[in-house]
Amino acid sequence: MDRRTVLKTGLAAAGTLAMPAYLRAQSNKKISVLTWNIADQEALFKEEFDEFKKANPSVEIEWLDKKGPDLPAFYQTQLVAGTAPDVIDIQGALWVEWAANGALLDLTPYFQNDPAFVKMFNPDYMSSFVYDKKNYLVPFYVAKTLLYYNKTMFKEAGLSGPPKTFDELLASAQAMGKGEKTGFLTLNFDWLYWPLMKMNGIELLTPDYKKPAFNTPAAAELLDRLAKSTAAGAINKIAWTGRWVEPNGAFASGTVGMLQAHSASYFFVKGQGRWINPETLGATQAPGDWSTPTNHGFGVSKSSGNPELAFALVKHMTSVKWATRLAQIRRVLTANIEADKAGLESVKADDPLAYAVLQTQLEHTDKMTGNWPLANDAQIKEAFWPEFQNAVLGRKDAKTALADAERAVTRVLRRS
Amino acid sequence: MSVTAIDTADVRPRFTRRRSTRRAILIWSFLAPSLLIFLLYRILPLGWNLLLSFEAWSPLKPAVFIGFDNYQEMFWDDDVFWQALWNTLGIIASAPLGIAIALGLALLVNSDIRGRDVYRTLIFLSYPLMTVAVAIIWRWMFDERVGLINFVARSLHLADQPIPFLNSFTWALPCVIAANIWQMLGFYMIIILTGLQTIPGNLYEAAEIDGANSFRRFLRITLPLLRPSLFLCFVIGMLNSVTSFDLIYVMTNGGPGHATEILVTYIYKLAFNQTRFDYAAAITVVFFMLLLAVTWAANRLSGGNVGAVEHD
Amino acid sequence: MTRRQRRWPIHLALIAVCFVMLVPFYWVLKTSISGENIFSYPPSIVPRDPQPFYYVDVWYAIPFARYFLNSVVVSILTIVANVVLNAMAGYSLTQTFPGKQIVLMLFLSCMMIPFQATIIPAYLITGKLGLLDSYLGLALPMFSTIICIFVFKASFDAVPRSLIDAARVDGLSEWRIIWKVMMPLAKSAVATNVILSFIWSWNNFMWPLIATRSQDMQTLPLGLARFISYQEDTTGALYAFCIMVLAPGILLFLLAQKEFVQGLTTGATKG
Repeated sequence: MDRRTVLKTGLAAAGTLAMPAYLRAQSNKKISVLTWNIADQEALFKEEFDEFKKANPSVEIEWLDKKGPDLPAFYQTQLVAGTAPDVIDIQGALWVEWAANGALLDLTPYFQNDPAFVKMFNPDYMSSFVYDKKNYLVPFYVAKTLLYYNKTMFKEAGLSGPPKTFDELLASAQAMGKGEKTGFLTLNFDWLYWPLMKMNGIELLTPDYKKPAFNTPAAAELLDRLAKSTAAGAINKIAWTGRWVEPNGAFASGTVGMLQAHSASYFFVKGQGRWINPETLGATQAPGDWSTPTNHGFGVSKSSGNPELAFALVKHMTSVKWATRLAQIRRVLTANIEADKAGLESVKADDPLAYAVLQTQLEHTDKMTGNWPLANDAQIKEAFWPEFQNAVLGRKDAKTALADAERAVTRVLRRS
Repeated sequence: MSVTAIDTADVRPRFTRRRSTRRAILIWSFLAPSLLIFLLYRILPLGWNLLLSFEAWSPLKPAVFIGFDNYQEMFWDDDVFWQALWNTLGIIASAPLGIAIALGLALLVNSDIRGRDVYRTLIFLSYPLMTVAVAIIWRWMFDERVGLINFVARSLHLADQPIPFLNSFTWALPCVIAANIWQMLGFYMIIILTGLQTIPGNLYEAAEIDGANSFRRFLRITLPLLRPSLFLCFVIGMLNSVTSFDLIYVMTNGGPGHATEILVTYIYKLAFNQTRFDYAAAITVVFFMLLLAVTWAANRLSGGNVGAVEHD
Repeated sequence: MTRRQRRWPIHLALIAVCFVMLVPFYWVLKTSISGENIFSYPPSIVPRDPQPFYYVDVWYAIPFARYFLNSVVVSILTIVANVVLNAMAGYSLTQTFPGKQIVLMLFLSCMMIPFQATIIPAYLITGKLGLLDSYLGLALPMFSTIICIFVFKASFDAVPRSLIDAARVDGLSEWRIIWKVMMPLAKSAVATNVILSFIWSWNNFMWPLIATRSQDMQTLPLGLARFISYQEDTTGALYAFCIMVLAPGILLFLLAQKEFVQGLTTGATKG
């Protein structure tokens, strides 16, 4: 079958012809920006765009925002139709796949032209956006996991402070898990549970990313321990079944000792848990200082008609001025060093606890894990996670589960 | 599907040939707009999927013909596909349960009681609801901490621990099915009710004279004559349920694990979260075949006529 | 009827069923006006300190009026197109013509194609028609629905042949026969079409998500979905939004329910 005639003319051609008016008008410099579920900042973006337009009078900016689960569907449809937004805000590891597929513009030359710009950002966060030695994204706002702990429950169980090792973590969880109460919870989407593996020295893949490396006796033992602790109520089952609302909600109800989650959880938990204050809630690094990031970054679509302008807009939106505003209003970190300093300063005064939480995000940024630059990250995740879940929920023996996971992951690696 | 071929009574001799050609043109032009919509939004997309299912393709990459590789992976290598398939079949199998309840309700509201219109309206009320909203409502009902169902269960001491319904491998699918039945129940009931009302009353009178009791009358008269309605219920109910993407997307998103994954949610995730449009297309083709087969089987079971849908 | 004295069990059973059907509504309504923390346990059965603030929140959190207007416009387009196109197609199917069987089979199998699998080609086609991000583009895929065509067909089948023949003898064109003779006799089929196409268009989620680009074209289900992710269930506003979104559908149904039920009657069974 001649693929060129079939798909190229059939659909790609339809795509180009499909160019709606807003695209044909691109000649008079229209830049479209797609953000990821941050519609609440409409006022801020408007200010940012107005300022940008003042500096670039002939430019029009179209702002789109989609919520997380819907954004990939929207973006990829636009991609097929050849109408991808010029600037796009991407969370997690999705960008690697799109970069590998040729959807994103390599920003390395732009970075080389402007070393001062690059220097503004935390190098560890910056390097989490490198694939195949090329830079693809500029940090928009960043977060990584930390360990929240319920000080009241720690006191009741006679524990002096947060755990320093994985063994202590399990032991503390065991001490607190009684009746309705459980000791530990983790978020599990993306690879947010991976610090638990890393603490025990387990790697997902071999260093060349060609083969699985997780099927080891140590891993089997770890999964076994996690399963036993889960069965005994030391670890809350929701750690392995819930998504976002459930684990955060459970921790907010005050019956869970520890929660491994990223900084965004704090605001959710605080909204639901009336018990939360600096006396009752602690925020610290997980044992070994390991954490998994969930960052947002701005990329430029390769199909953009005005890549220079698009990058200029990215620079504008991540500049000290606007990053500071975002950090202050949204109480996030932006990886823009100066902006975060200013942002933290303003948070310190009116919410010391939020300050403590955000502070953890700037520490030990060299110990981030679970963010491999893999073009098929989503597929590997899908191949690995269900088996992991089976093991820790006691639905499958740890060894069998790991072997099955290894088979599934190998299949994904071979396919690409 | 038996559609009587030619209705000879219609071909009137006094119409000239030219006249009948003109009429054919007219008929086709009446059909054309609908056919065009279906062509654009159903048939062409299905063709696209069929083509893609034999290729390796993702946006921006050229397509490569790979034969049956996608199908091979689906049937031999993909546990999630099988789980999604079983869950889909489970949901299909739950449609008769809803229909059975609706049949009981239809018999009740068909009796000569006061206020039956009010009952009918109240029972039907859940059908016109936006599915996204229905999903939110039921997620709230099943909430682990403050959901009404857990509250009632705990108050009656049926459960001493709150049950995490939507996060439980055992409960999640039944919960989704329950929400689906809740939404479809009124629709089923109305269709059956209308079927009941077309059964001539004298049939029952004759049976009563013959000494048949009410249960036998139900088995011998009501049920056979209701077949077309029941078939229609099943087909619409099945299609509605197995494509109830919104409901699962919002209630559980297929989880926990893949406990509530159905083929449509899996297709969507494969295509858009994993960028495997090619593989998703192969599953779409299989899904389409499955629905055709189930409809055909149901049609056979309900007496071999397309019944309610087609009956000349 | 002889079993007059045995009616109370029927009432009892029906009241129980209605209770089950209505409780979720009540629970969401209660949550949406509750003044207490909606996450406190045990939940109260009646709303404590009722207040309307969640509704006000929704009104200001998203451009509710705009989304509402968009939903209404798309629904009206869909309804009008459905009534006209389905009536035409339904009428054709009451006639005899070569290829009818194929058309019927085609219609039936079209019902089996899940929309989620057609997103990309549907998007490309709509783009080619130049209708992306427009009301017409939002409504077009639902302009004709198979079930509704059969509802019309069944309803038209019930119209006595003699009436149509008489109209033909009077020299009325087929077009006029549909609108002057058939339609007045198929009021309930029209009502069914109106309600069903309204429900489907009003509730549609996936297609507007993909086919709209600008804020100004978003419809209510998108607003609702956006609301879930942004508010993350933390307040009762989500439930207030649910009520606000559901109310129009329920109202329309209550207004048209009599004809609707009749329409399904003729549509579902031998006319």
